[in-house]
Amino acid sequence: MQIASVYIRGKSHLMFGLCILFTAVILGLLGMVSGYLISLGYKSVDLALFTQLPVPAGAAGFPGGLQNGIVGSIIMIAMASLIGIPIGMLAGIYLAEYSSRSWLAGPVRFIADVQTGVPSIVVGILGYELLVVPLGSYNGWAGAAALAFIMIPLVARTTEEMLLLVPRGYREASVALGATKARTILRVVVPAAFGSVITGIMLAIARVAGETAPLLFTALGSRFLESNPSRPFPSLTVQIYHAAMEPYKEESRKAWAGILVLLALIFVLNVTVRLTMRASGYGARAAR
Amino acid sequence: MVKTEHPTAERGHARANREAPQPGTSLPPIQPVLRSLNPDIAPGRNGQNPVHLPTTTPTEQSPQGPAIHAELAAEQHVLSTEDFKLHYGKHRALHGITMQIPAGKVTALIGPSGCGKSTLLRSFNRLNDLIENVRVEGRIRFQGQDIHDRKVDVIRLRKKMGMVFQKSNPFPMSILENVVYALRIGGERRRRVLDEVCEKSLRSAALWDEVKDRLHTSALGMSGGQQQRLCIARAIAAEPEVLLMDEPCSALDPIATGKVEELIYALRGKYTVVIVTHNMQQAARVSDYTAFMYMGRLVEYGPTNSIFVNPHLKETESYVTGRFG
Ligand SMILES: Nc1ncnc2c1ncn2[C@@H]1O[C@H](COP(=O)(O)OP(=O)(O)O)[C@@H](O)[C@H]1O
Ligand SMILES: [Mg+2]
Repeated sequence: MQIASVYIRGKSHLMFGLCILFTAVILGLLGMVSGYLISLGYKSVDLALFTQLPVPAGAAGFPGGLQNGIVGSIIMIAMASLIGIPIGMLAGIYLAEYSSRSWLAGPVRFIADVQTGVPSIVVGILGYELLVVPLGSYNGWAGAAALAFIMIPLVARTTEEMLLLVPRGYREASVALGATKARTILRVVVPAAFGSVITGIMLAIARVAGETAPLLFTALGSRFLESNPSRPFPSLTVQIYHAAMEPYKEESRKAWAGILVLLALIFVLNVTVRLTMRASGYGARAAR
Repeated sequence: MVKTEHPTAERGHARANREAPQPGTSLPPIQPVLRSLNPDIAPGRNGQNPVHLPTTTPTEQSPQGPAIHAELAAEQHVLSTEDFKLHYGKHRALHGITMQIPAGKVTALIGPSGCGKSTLLRSFNRLNDLIENVRVEGRIRFQGQDIHDRKVDVIRLRKKMGMVFQKSNPFPMSILENVVYALRIGGERRRRVLDEVCEKSLRSAALWDEVKDRLHTSALGMSGGQQQRLCIARAIAAEPEVLLMDEPCSALDPIATGKVEELIYALRGKYTVVIVTHNMQQAARVSDYTAFMYMGRLVEYGPTNSIFVNPHLKETESYVTGRFG
């Protein structure tokens, strides 16, 4: 008896130790990566990065900043979100709430999964064929559409999973009070899952914010601050990509700074959304 | 198996003896045995609802079919089932239930787990429609209307029946919004009306004093007992005619249970209450009539007092005294 219990306790300690160890490994790796980024990038992050356009080598003011890329990325990601989040959420709601009696559910789910696995460069080529060639020029719409295409399956599947986690009791209580199915979903089920759905959406935004390949074929990039999405559109990631390819030290320092800015933007977006949600009372709901 | 599930049943029987004659209500005297051998014995008050249909499948336990006590015939009925059968896919959960629910009374459904109490209760407001592969046969009438009729608007049917579930399920909204949910569905937007209904319903649910200062905080921050009373308030805010309760106290501590039981007791007369419970003391304390179900069949149905003190069938007696089988 005594020995057995020591043995079991030993096993449980071992398990606990392993969990701690691997958590430390993961956190350590994460810390190393961000530490490396920060140490390389922080010296080059200055005001000029946000206020100046890039300047080609040889010209006065070289290497300039990334202003157009930062603004362009924000605009394109916002457009992609406006397209991708509603479509993705509606698809997720369909899959979770309406599809059980429909033959369409299987195919939709399958396509969403395949779509998640498509290499992003293929998405770029698709965007090129569908939105660049017909319009006759690289453009911001095509870039936003390509990003939305990547977002939709991510948002759809997380929405579906989070809605399925909402206890059946909520649905039954609402329906038993005489609510229609649509009302039940909109007023009870989606709000109950909102916190975790938002987390999924944030992940999807972070994912597309880092995409470069699909933008190379669609928005292309631009050296100027652009407000017309019908023209080639600048983005932070494409600019980082080009800067990193240049042989000049100044350019590669700018690339490192750009990566840091990208991370900071995603971080700020996350924190803002979470604080807003907590302020509006969603934090408490999500915590349950 | 059943025996171990009800370790307190023996005591329950004793308490039933002591407590069954509730203050204020004169439970009807125990009437001569009416075994429903003869379908013509007890026609309903309006003369068209026979208490027992000859089509009811005889059960193994009571080869004669269910024993329906005569007192029920004297009641005004609001709900009735006629040879109602329900299948979950291939599995038949209800084998032809014929019973009537008296208006303005509290009717308890008792029986071992899995005997179909919840299924029957959820059939009354057609909540089983939500479950796939459910097939029903026979009839359920609500105020004379066949609820499975094409013409029936199931939304309106459900608005007339409040439901309280085993696991309390307040919505992730404020306490006030929970209570007035049914009014919101109906499109009510006037602040004054919403506030009034909220207060009235919370008062009926004996919850007002505890929560009146935090109506706008999340309902999820309440204790379990409060949450369940909130669910009752939410159900009665819709002014239903029937309240369906599925083991409303099974997740509550004794004090909260006491409060909910008092509440149910206070609701009689105003509402028709159908309550599922497998706590027999509870059935004895709160109900006017008790129906004993076993394996998807109705076995015995009569005044609570008779069911607990002087049941007509041996099976019923075994169950209510905890000596099952
Ligand atoms: N959703 C369902 N799908 C399939 N079978 C079910 C479902 N709900 C209940 N049943 C079955 O129906 C029978 C009656 O269940 P239920 O009405 O929940 O019993 P009770 O409430 O008396 O414990 C049980 O055999 C149970 O397994
Ligand atoms: Mg049950």
